[in-house]
Amino acid sequence: MMDLRTPRGVKDFLPSDAKWKLELEQKIRDVFTSWGYQEVISPTFEFYDVLAQGGAVNQQTYRFFDHNGKLLVLRPDLTTPIARMVATRLKDEPKPLRLSYLANVFRYDDVQVGFQREFYQAGVELIGSSAAAADAEAAALAVTVFNELGVKDFHLDLGHTGYIHGILEECESETQKRQFWQLLLTKDLVGLKALVAESDLSEQAKQLLLKLPHFRGRESLLDQAYHSTENPRARSAVANLKQIYSYLKAYGLEDQVYIDLSIVKSLGYYTGMVVEGYVPNLGFTICSGGRYDHLSERFGTDLPAVGFAFGLERLMLVLENQGQRPPEQNNGIFVLPLSWRHAVNYAAAERKKGTRVEVDIQGFSESEAVNYARQKGFSRVVIVGADGVRSIPMSTNEGAV
Amino acid sequence: MLSIAVAKGRLLDSFLELLSQANYNCEELARETRKLVIDVPQANLQFILAKPADVPTYVEYGAADLGVVGKDTLVESDKEVAELLDLNYGYCKLVVAVPSELNISSVQELDFNSRVASKYPHTAEQFFNSHGIQVEIIPLHGSIELGPIVGLSEAIVDITETGRTLVENGLVVLDTIMESTARLIANRVSLKTKREEIAELVNALEGVI
Repeated sequence: MMDLRTPRGVKDFLPSDAKWKLELEQKIRDVFTSWGYQEVISPTFEFYDVLAQGGAVNQQTYRFFDHNGKLLVLRPDLTTPIARMVATRLKDEPKPLRLSYLANVFRYDDVQVGFQREFYQAGVELIGSSAAAADAEAAALAVTVFNELGVKDFHLDLGHTGYIHGILEECESETQKRQFWQLLLTKDLVGLKALVAESDLSEQAKQLLLKLPHFRGRESLLDQAYHSTENPRARSAVANLKQIYSYLKAYGLEDQVYIDLSIVKSLGYYTGMVVEGYVPNLGFTICSGGRYDHLSERFGTDLPAVGFAFGLERLMLVLENQGQRPPEQNNGIFVLPLSWRHAVNYAAAERKKGTRVEVDIQGFSESEAVNYARQKGFSRVVIVGADGVRSIPMSTNEGAV
Repeated sequence: MLSIAVAKGRLLDSFLELLSQANYNCEELARETRKLVIDVPQANLQFILAKPADVPTYVEYGAADLGVVGKDTLVESDKEVAELLDLNYGYCKLVVAVPSELNISSVQELDFNSRVASKYPHTAEQFFNSHGIQVEIIPLHGSIELGPIVGLSEAIVDITETGRTLVENGLVVLDTIMESTARLIANRVSLKTKREEIAELVNALEGVI
């Protein structure tokens, strides 16, 4: 027998899943648009050399050659292509730029929960502003979009790369700094304790590094974090977060926002605020982002930027997990024609009103038509003849299989 | 309530001992012999009894908030979890060993086409790669010391506590890849959403380790 499997990490969306996904995408688009974000579409594949300059393109990508022997790569994210786009073709546009995307991305990675090798991402980039109000807008939009999508108990944690970088400035070598960074990234607190003990950092820095993984809380944590260090860079990071947080209070979102100074990102391009979104009782984050001020510089135009992204499949998983997937409802009309001309005219008139209409092409009997309409989730069968129409309603709850 | 994934056997027994010293009463658990998920309401804990190698998976996916697992298993699993505490029991070493009649004393002397049997293929491969030694890793699920005896492999990578089993099978240790003890691990989101409960447990355990 023929082997009809699909490769590991890709999947089909059958009609009912595809329909739900498109509905969600439309809702996301509507929220992004209402905040002034314009959607862009980047090419599915680009030159590897070009995207690699952004730093986020690594071994875990799909690469192949074109006919001239140039190395190409399937886009592993949208942030890098958009930075390229902005630094070149949009560099003279008035700033700030508000851009959004909904697109599939490709990573030759171990398949993780909700992250297949091809998966769908939605996100925004706010480019050309380094104001705290820009960070706050990105964070507020992230919370808003999840609230609007019906996700319950969505929380967003704010951290700051400057805080950890500041504390680590004391390190004697780059190697040691990287070691600490790696331990904080992998949340290896046992290794952290050991490295702290053998380092010759000041007692204050040692205490702080050990406390850092637990630095999560509400606004008051910021004061504690500020007074735990005298490092100017770390302190200005806290001041920056404080400003961002005060904007978020104005948005009325402070109940959903926490401060978590232990957030460390694996991507190297973040320069300021970083965010992680999640819901309780689900073991993985569902939204991620932050400020990445110099990414576009790598493409020739230095512009500050902040953004976030989330995976559609993870969002769908969350909504299903929370029982928020809308039930399929019977809708539309199945037309059984007695007179073909009258039937197609009737169908055309109904379609103009936005109704979903199918016209029988199989020559079904009335009972066959009712049976088919029930299985396909129509709300009624309409028999259309030259002298009038007769409507057979489907009883509710039937048909939705 | 916090859920904890842990493998039955010594890892679980020693952990229960630590818990009772830390005033978490889990006596109930000792009486249960068949169930795989056991609630202990008075300690506000739920135990999920899993295979050792699966513990990091349960925790990564958030099916369990916490897990107890050997560092060796944790490294081999390569999962994204937080490592909270060294529980300081279940000590063992992950070593490279060869039959004594091979007459070599370092991993560098291994032939370039050597085969290495191991229950830790991922960790073994990383170790040999980082030493620039090309070997063929043969993943096995148990009784690794059989490998050289039956001619399946020249060397093995396996855990040992005292080294006695190795000696009994005519094997000598060439190198230690890592030392391992039991670790308390946590799901990264649970660490945010159940921070207070987890901190309380960690503090109590730290007091008795």
